[in-house]
Amino acid sequence: MRFEEQLLMELKEEVGARAERRRRATRRLFAGGAVAALAAAAAVAVPLLTGSEPPAYAVSKAGDGTIRVEIKEFRDADQLERDLRQAGVSTDVTYLEYGTRCEDDRGRIVGGAESVATHDAFRDSASAKAARPSGAGVDIHPEFVGQGRTLVLDFSENPAWTPGAPTVRWQYRARVIEGQVKPCVVVDDPDAAASGS
Amino acid sequence: MRRKQAKIATDPVAFEAFYRRHVDAVTRFLSRRVDDPHTVADLVAEVFVAVLDSAHTYRADLGAEIAWLYGVARKTISAERRRAYKQYQLTDRVSGRRTLHDDDVARLEERIDAERPARRAFEAMADLPEGERAVLELVVIDQLTVTEAAHALGIRPGTAKVRLHRARRTLRDLPFVMDGAPR
Repeated sequence: MRFEEQLLMELKEEVGARAERRRRATRRLFAGGAVAALAAAAAVAVPLLTGSEPPAYAVSKAGDGTIRVEIKEFRDADQLERDLRQAGVSTDVTYLEYGTRCEDDRGRIVGGAESVATHDAFRDSASAKAARPSGAGVDIHPEFVGQGRTLVLDFSENPAWTPGAPTVRWQYRARVIEGQVKPCVVVDDPDAAASGS
Repeated sequence: MRRKQAKIATDPVAFEAFYRRHVDAVTRFLSRRVDDPHTVADLVAEVFVAVLDSAHTYRADLGAEIAWLYGVARKTISAERRRAYKQYQLTDRVSGRRTLHDDDVARLEERIDAERPARRAFEAMADLPEGERAVLELVVIDQLTVTEAAHALGIRPGTAKVRLHRARRTLRDLPFVMDGAPR
């Protein structure tokens, strides 16, 4: 991943954190009840994906409802989230440096933390069924995500990979989260290559 | 009274659009002034953090975004120069560096090479009074209009015009000083 993309991800986390701090401060400010009504922030920003760059990924929907995501480049995670929402599934996608991962606590895992604790348990979990590896990406099965839940996906790309190389090109982790998804706190993942998906 | 924040500092989507519009220009702006890829990358990060810190001064309708952004970048880089001096005194303060992959470094080095003539021009301008040099820099090297340069520096357009004229008169024998947008 280019440093510009990595930086953008970090900065957007910062924007989110600042907005949250301001919201809290504003709530405290208005808690006295002196203000009758706050106008709803209704504006919707339109993302601009400028340019001549080829798309970083492709999203397609099969007849059985499966959503196939093919990833060509690990960028534009937010646009991917929006496209997937349009396809009918709520996701939280993070692209990480190889050798790092998001801290485990991203919210309440459907089926409980024990459902993803071991390989055997994981195989039968909603998280494993909701996202399955396919050739160049993942197949998402929305029926295992469900309403009000979010499929949290984090990917890391192996910089050592070249076409034809016998190494892992990238890996991902999938979790179906009920309710609020906590932001990704990046931590080192020394056994990145061993842990697989 | 709370300061009103521009959306680029509060809405990640608006910020992303802003970032994508300008990250290349900011990288080039910095590559004209700094010749080390790691420092350029660190400064790109600092400039956009400064954008968040200064977003209350941002007005989309006040001239070009880029002028405002270059103003922020100039302040960041002079803060960086101050710190570089401090680091020189404290030697081992290298933390906070961004990790770059080899291809990042290669891309940045290309940028830096491409901006070599601009860095030479800076050397030629070094002896001008600070106020004049700042205007000449933004007009001749960064290709802002005089009005935009004034905006970036927080001075009146008339003042900028006068300073530009004086700077060009001082350096009239150098080939590049008449470059740049006319207004």
